Amino acid sequence: MFDAMHTPDNVLIVGGSSEIGVEIAKALAKRGSTKFVLAGRSFETMQRAANEISSANPAGATSVSVIYFDVLAENAVSELITSTTAELSTIDMTIFAIGTLGDQAQLETDLKAAQEILEANFSKLAPAIQGIANVMVTQGFGHIVVLSSVAGVRVRRSNYFYGSAKAGLDGFAMALNDAVIKEGVNVTVVRPGFVRTKMTAHLPAAPLSTTAAAVAKATLAATDKQRNSVYVPTAIGVVVNIYRLLPRFIARKVPF
Amino acid sequence: MTSSPSPTSRHTKKQLISGWGRTQFVSSNLVEVGRSNELDQITSIFSDSATRFAIPRGLGRSYGDAAQVAGGTVIVQPDDIDSSTIDENGVLKVSGGTSLDAIMKKYVPNGYFVPVTPGTRFVTIGGAIAADIHGKNHHISGSFVDHVNTMQLAAPSGNFNLSATENADIFWATAGGMGLTGVITMASLNMLPIETAYINMETRRAKDFDELLSVMAGSDADFRYSVAWIDCIAKGASMGRGVLTRGDHASLDQLGPKQKIDPLKYRPNSRLVAPPWFPPHILNSMSVRAFNEAWFLKAPQLRQDQIVPLTSYFHPLDGIQGWNRMYGRNGFLQYQFLVPDGEEEALRKILEKISKAKVASFLAVLKRFGKANSGLLSFPAPGWTLALDIPVGASSLSDLLDELDKDVLEANGKLYLAKESRASCDTIKQMYPKLKEFSRIKEITDPNGIIVSDLSRRLCLT
Ligand SMILES: Cc1cc2nc3c(=O)[nH]c(=O)nc-3n(C[C@H](O)[C@H](O)[C@H](O)COP(=O)(O)OP(=O)(O)OC[C@H]3O[C@@H](n4cnc5c(N)ncnc54)[C@H](O)[C@@H]3O)c2cc1C
Ligand SMILES: NC(=O)c1ccc[n+]([C@@H]2O[C@H](COP(=O)([O-])OP(=O)(O)OC[C@H]3O[C@@H](n4cnc5c(N)ncnc54)[C@H](OP(=O)(O)O)[C@@H]3O)[C@@H](O)[C@H]2O)c1
Repeated sequence: MFDAMHTPDNVLIVGGSSEIGVEIAKALAKRGSTKFVLAGRSFETMQRAANEISSANPAGATSVSVIYFDVLAENAVSELITSTTAELSTIDMTIFAIGTLGDQAQLETDLKAAQEILEANFSKLAPAIQGIANVMVTQGFGHIVVLSSVAGVRVRRSNYFYGSAKAGLDGFAMALNDAVIKEGVNVTVVRPGFVRTKMTAHLPAAPLSTTAAAVAKATLAATDKQRNSVYVPTAIGVVVNIYRLLPRFIARKVPF
Repeated sequence: MTSSPSPTSRHTKKQLISGWGRTQFVSSNLVEVGRSNELDQITSIFSDSATRFAIPRGLGRSYGDAAQVAGGTVIVQPDDIDSSTIDENGVLKVSGGTSLDAIMKKYVPNGYFVPVTPGTRFVTIGGAIAADIHGKNHHISGSFVDHVNTMQLAAPSGNFNLSATENADIFWATAGGMGLTGVITMASLNMLPIETAYINMETRRAKDFDELLSVMAGSDADFRYSVAWIDCIAKGASMGRGVLTRGDHASLDQLGPKQKIDPLKYRPNSRLVAPPWFPPHILNSMSVRAFNEAWFLKAPQLRQDQIVPLTSYFHPLDGIQGWNRMYGRNGFLQYQFLVPDGEEEALRKILEKISKAKVASFLAVLKRFGKANSGLLSFPAPGWTLALDIPVGASSLSDLLDELDKDVLEANGKLYLAKESRASCDTIKQMYPKLKEFSRIKEITDPNGIIVSDLSRRLCLT
């Protein structure tokens, strides 16, 4: 259940090894969330994260379980729901932190890899989000957080598979919010700029870059107020929305 | 009248609901049961396989999530004042969904007042019993259920007649039981005979915490009603300053000539409506400070024998419809705790923390409690209770209240479930040692655990 400050008791992190996802979980544990399920592929990373999340709770009253989830696998969504509902009496909040950049140049020739990028970031992720939303509609409440990206606000030449998948995901999640808000379920779309995590470890830092902890903080500030979407940092929102309005022939020349 | 109690004849609507503090909105199936076939309909809700959970709801004046169950069925009863009866001893028989508002409108002109009233008259008999509510007369008269002779309870395992001699264990589990034993459909209670619809009031200013407590401890016993408003923002030497309003029902000879013409004329008014756009930042600590300052200075040092209408003494806030919306989108909560007699230092410490923390609050109400009753989860016990409204939003609020919980626990105190919206299972378990006993009795009335509220899930009450 939620308390009056909108702190959930039970939390599911889909992409349980995501640095941003784990930071959000730690921030929630610190506030008093008590039960976590981490769903993902990398058990070792998730185990480590589980320990970090447990020790973030000052009262030490946190339990974290880890379940296997590969969004590309067959029956992944129904298995995710079955094992999560076995662990949690109610799924109060779910963070969807799955994302994978891919190598743009490679994707342009390796079409199977390109398809998988679209699946992991969007076409197989969206049904998973819908599945959890359906559980929440039945239980009469819940909050879903979807990690989108500024890359989806205006899709760029430099990563248009990732960017277009995020654009699809972002649109899906915003409209899902309209669909479920009357059922007591909220959706918050988080759009970070460049965040220093393992996903971007191989890349040079971009301007206005931020940290996973800052994304976590901004995310909870937004979910507290039941906001539909938030940019992190705020300034990146201004920048991409100007960029989005630029005529294409100018936008093409902007070097990122 | 006969109408068949088939599940399809129930009036059901799916709706987003919350408590008075507007903090936890959830979707539930609201079922308004009919007047004529109430019992049959409640039974059919409990036995319907489509009912995942069910909980009764009165007028939704509890602050948090007591009167709702997300994804379940919320049972709402009609306000059925017309079927109420009163005998020559002032014993009122009334249905569970009837409001104190309707009862007062009907019976004050006949010379009867409710034995206990909360700070709002928009509560139902069911809600009053389920929270075992207290009024400004607790130190003299005890809590609501102390005036209840019998109840009828519709529960999943059957319907029960309850009194202090029949099914006494279920009676005392239902008193203060937050709706978790079943639905109270009827009650009989002792009304208070009155000569007039007025209160003879004394107002007294107390310059600090020590003075306030010593006046209350010293002479509350001389007044049927007593309550103090505390300025939670004043610090230093004037920390805990407040205004005491005490009184009793005015007798006929105390009224002025105009009032004497119709001494029992009762005119509750709710004309003012809070504008929906009322900006929440108006309730910041600056404006609260100004408000509190003005309120305190306006109050007389001592004024006696002021004759005021019942409503303005008991229910001033009811004049502003929808004032709970003024706190904006995040809503607000009420922190109400009690500490036993002898723990005045703990009370001072808590008050100091509150005034330092600058969590703005218009309303901080201090009240002295008298004897406790046998209600397993009833709140009142001899000591002091402080209640303050706090807007949700400050990021430090959660930590502050968690810290206050510890202080309250340490002083052997407790939190009021009707106001609760944020404590932990463990805290509540320690504050309510009779929870185990309560669960045992709940199993008699609800063996399959159908009756569940968001409060009971959040606080692990059953
Ligand atoms: C402005 C204001 C001032 C207040 N002042 C006081 C005060 O001075 N003293 C005090 O004690 N309280 C006070 N309260 C709290 C209020 O009295 C209680 O929360 C009361 O229970 C509300 O009654 P309700 O009919 O609105 O019930 P709801 O809030 O709808 O429900 C409260 C509980 O009662 C249960 N319930 C409702 N109907 C039934 C039924 N028929 N059978 C079984 N269970 C039922 C519900 O399941 C729930 O657990 C105040 C509240 C407000 C908003
Ligand atoms: N970092 C940034 O700059 C940035 C900027 C904007 C938005 N975002 C978004 O923020 C989210 C979190 O990213 P992050 O920075 O925390 O990076 P991260 O640590 O690499 O997290 C990405 C997560 O996605 C998981 N994942 C990828 N493919 C998967 C699959 N097929 N099945 C299951 N899980 C899969 C990864 O699991 P494995 O560990 O098993 O690979 C990992 O847990 C992502 O949605 C990302 O797109 C990040």
